[in-house]
Amino acid sequence: MKKIIKIIAPVVAMIIAFGVFLMTQGVNPIEIYMNMITSTLTSSYGIGEVILKATPFILVAVATSISAKAGLVNVGGEGQLMIGALFATWAAVFWLGDLPGIIGIPLMVLAGMLGGMVWSGIAALLRVKANMNETITTVIMNYIAVNVVSIAVYGPLKDPEAFSWPMSPKVAEALELPTIWGKVNIGVIIAILIAVGTWAVVRYTEIGFKLRVIGGNAKAAESAGFAVKKIQLFAMLISGAIAGLAGMIEIAGVEGRLRTTTGENYGYLGFLAAWMAWNNPMAAIITSLIIGFLSVSGSVLEFSSGLPSSATQILMAVVLIAILWRGKEKKTL
Amino acid sequence: MIINTLLSGAIQSGTSVLYGICGETVTERVGVINLGTEGCMIVGALTAYAMNHFTGSVYASALFAMLAAGAMAALHAYLVIGRKANQLATGLTLMFLGLGLTAFLGRNYVSVTIVGCEKIAIRFLCEIPIIGDALFNQDILTYLSYIMCPALYFFLFKSRLGMKFRATGEDENVVFAYGMNPVMLRYMGVILGGMISGLGGAQLSIAYTHTWIEGMTNGRGVVAAAMVVLIAYNPGKAMLGAYLFGGAQALTSIMQEQGVAVSPFLLMMLPYVVTLVALFFTSRKKNQPMPAELKKVVESASGI
Repeated sequence: MKKIIKIIAPVVAMIIAFGVFLMTQGVNPIEIYMNMITSTLTSSYGIGEVILKATPFILVAVATSISAKAGLVNVGGEGQLMIGALFATWAAVFWLGDLPGIIGIPLMVLAGMLGGMVWSGIAALLRVKANMNETITTVIMNYIAVNVVSIAVYGPLKDPEAFSWPMSPKVAEALELPTIWGKVNIGVIIAILIAVGTWAVVRYTEIGFKLRVIGGNAKAAESAGFAVKKIQLFAMLISGAIAGLAGMIEIAGVEGRLRTTTGENYGYLGFLAAWMAWNNPMAAIITSLIIGFLSVSGSVLEFSSGLPSSATQILMAVVLIAILWRGKEKKTL
Repeated sequence: MIINTLLSGAIQSGTSVLYGICGETVTERVGVINLGTEGCMIVGALTAYAMNHFTGSVYASALFAMLAAGAMAALHAYLVIGRKANQLATGLTLMFLGLGLTAFLGRNYVSVTIVGCEKIAIRFLCEIPIIGDALFNQDILTYLSYIMCPALYFFLFKSRLGMKFRATGEDENVVFAYGMNPVMLRYMGVILGGMISGLGGAQLSIAYTHTWIEGMTNGRGVVAAAMVVLIAYNPGKAMLGAYLFGGAQALTSIMQEQGVAVSPFLLMMLPYVVTLVALFFTSRKKNQPMPAELKKVVESASGI
C-alpha cells in the first residue's frame, strides 16, 4: 500500500501544479480534467487507445530499468525503438512479405530486437571500451537514429506509390499483429509478460542479483570478482532488444509502415515511466498506463482549450521534478 | 573562398556550442554535471528572441537570456545540491522542461520577425587574407565568445575565486577545512555555468539563425556536455570542440549547396558522429583530468 502511495503522491502533486499552470493560461482546470477523463476512459474506444499508446512505454520503461539496475542511465530508448522499427520494417518489406504470420511475425520480432541491440550495443561498447558516459552517448545516438530512419524512408525503403510522402510501403497483412480486443493487439500482452518476467529475473535469479549489486555499488561488485563490464554490456544489449521490440510492435500493431515520426518521443516518455516507477518493471506498467492516458488525453487539451500538445510535455517534466524533489530518501521499491 | 565559407560557417554554427561548453565546464569544475545545458540553451534562445522582438536591443536580449537560463540552472543546483537528487536524471528533466516550456510559450513567436544581431566587420582585421573575413566579420555575441574563452581560463586557473571553484570540484572537505562554504561555491558555479550556456542559446536564435523554431538547439547542449571531456575541462581549449561540431555542420551545408549526391540526412548526422568519434579517441586516454568530486557523481549508482 505504501508503495502505491509513493507512486501516486507525486502524480497528484503534479496534477495540482499543472492545474495552477492551466489557470494562469486562462483555462478552467477542472473542466479540462473532466474533459480529459470523459473523452478517454468512458468509452471502450478511448480505453483501447490508452492501452495501445501505453504498450511501447511499458517496453521502453522495462528496457530503461534493466540498464538502470546495472548502474547505467540509458536514455537511448528513443533511438533504439526507431532503429528496431527500421529493422523490422526492412525485414517485413524486403524478405518476409510472402510468409504466413506464424513464421513472419516472429522473424520480424527478431529483426526489431536486433535493431535495438545494434543501437544500444554501440553505446555499450563506447562505455565499456572507452569509458564514455552512456547518458551522453545514448542521447547523441538518438539524434543520429532520426537521421538514419530518414535516410531509409526517403531512400531505399520509400514507398514507390506514395509519391512525395516519405514513408515505407505498408507491411503485408499477414504480418500484422493479431488483435485481442477492439483495436488492441497482442503487443500489450507481450509487454506485460516481459515486464513481469524482468521483475522476476531481477528479483529471484543469480544474474538479477549480480545486476542489483553492480547497480548498487560497481566498485564493490568489481572487488567481489563480478565481471562488471561484461554484465553491463549484457544489460545494455537486452535493454536495446526490448526497446527494439517496442519499435516492431509499433509497426506491426499500430502504424503498419515506417515514417520519420514513428515512435517520436516514445523513448523519452518510456524513460519517464521507468523513473516514475523507481525502475521497478512491475510498477512501470502502471506508470506507463498513466503516461499513455496523459498522451491520449493531451490531444483533448488541444481541441477543448486550444493549448498545444507541448503542454503535456511540461506536465511530465513537473511530475519528474516532484519525484526528484524527494531526493535520495527512496532509492528502490 | 570555400575555406572562408567553411570557417565562417563553423564559427557561426559553433559559437552556441562554444558557450555551452564553457558553461558546462564551469559547472563541472565545481563538481556538478548538468545535462540540462540543453534546457538552459533553449530557454536562453527563446528569451533572447522574445526580448529582441519587444526591445530590439541585443544587450537586453543577452541579459535576459542569461537570467532565464540562470534560473533553470538554479533549479538544477537546488535539486542536486539541496535535495541530493541524481544529477544525470535531474539534468535530463531540465532538458524536457526547457524544451516543453519553450515549445509552449514560444508558439506565438514562430512567425515573428526580429532585428537580431547584425554582423560588424572589424576594420583592418577583417582584411587579413583567407581567415580575416571569417573571424572578424561576425556578430557581437561571437566576438564576446572570443574574449570569454581566455577570460574564463584566467578566471578558473589564475584567480582566487576560480581556485576555490576548482577546489570544490576536487575535494569539498578541503574547501570546508579552509573555512569556505563548498555548497555556496557549488551553487555559484552551476548558476554561472547556466548563464553562460544561456548566451549560447541567444547567439543561436538572434545572431546565427534570426528565427525561433521549437527545439532549435537540436542537441547542442548535449554535444556541449560531451565536448567538455574532449577539451579536458579547460575553457582555453573550448574552441577546439565547438568549431569541430560547427565545422561538420558548415561542411554539411556547403555540400548540400554544391549539390553533392549524398542523402542530406547522412550529412545532417555528421556533426553528431564527429562528436562521438572525437570523444572516443580522447576518452581512451588514461589519466583523465576529471574533477574528483565529479568522478564520484558519474561513477556512483544510477537511480533516483
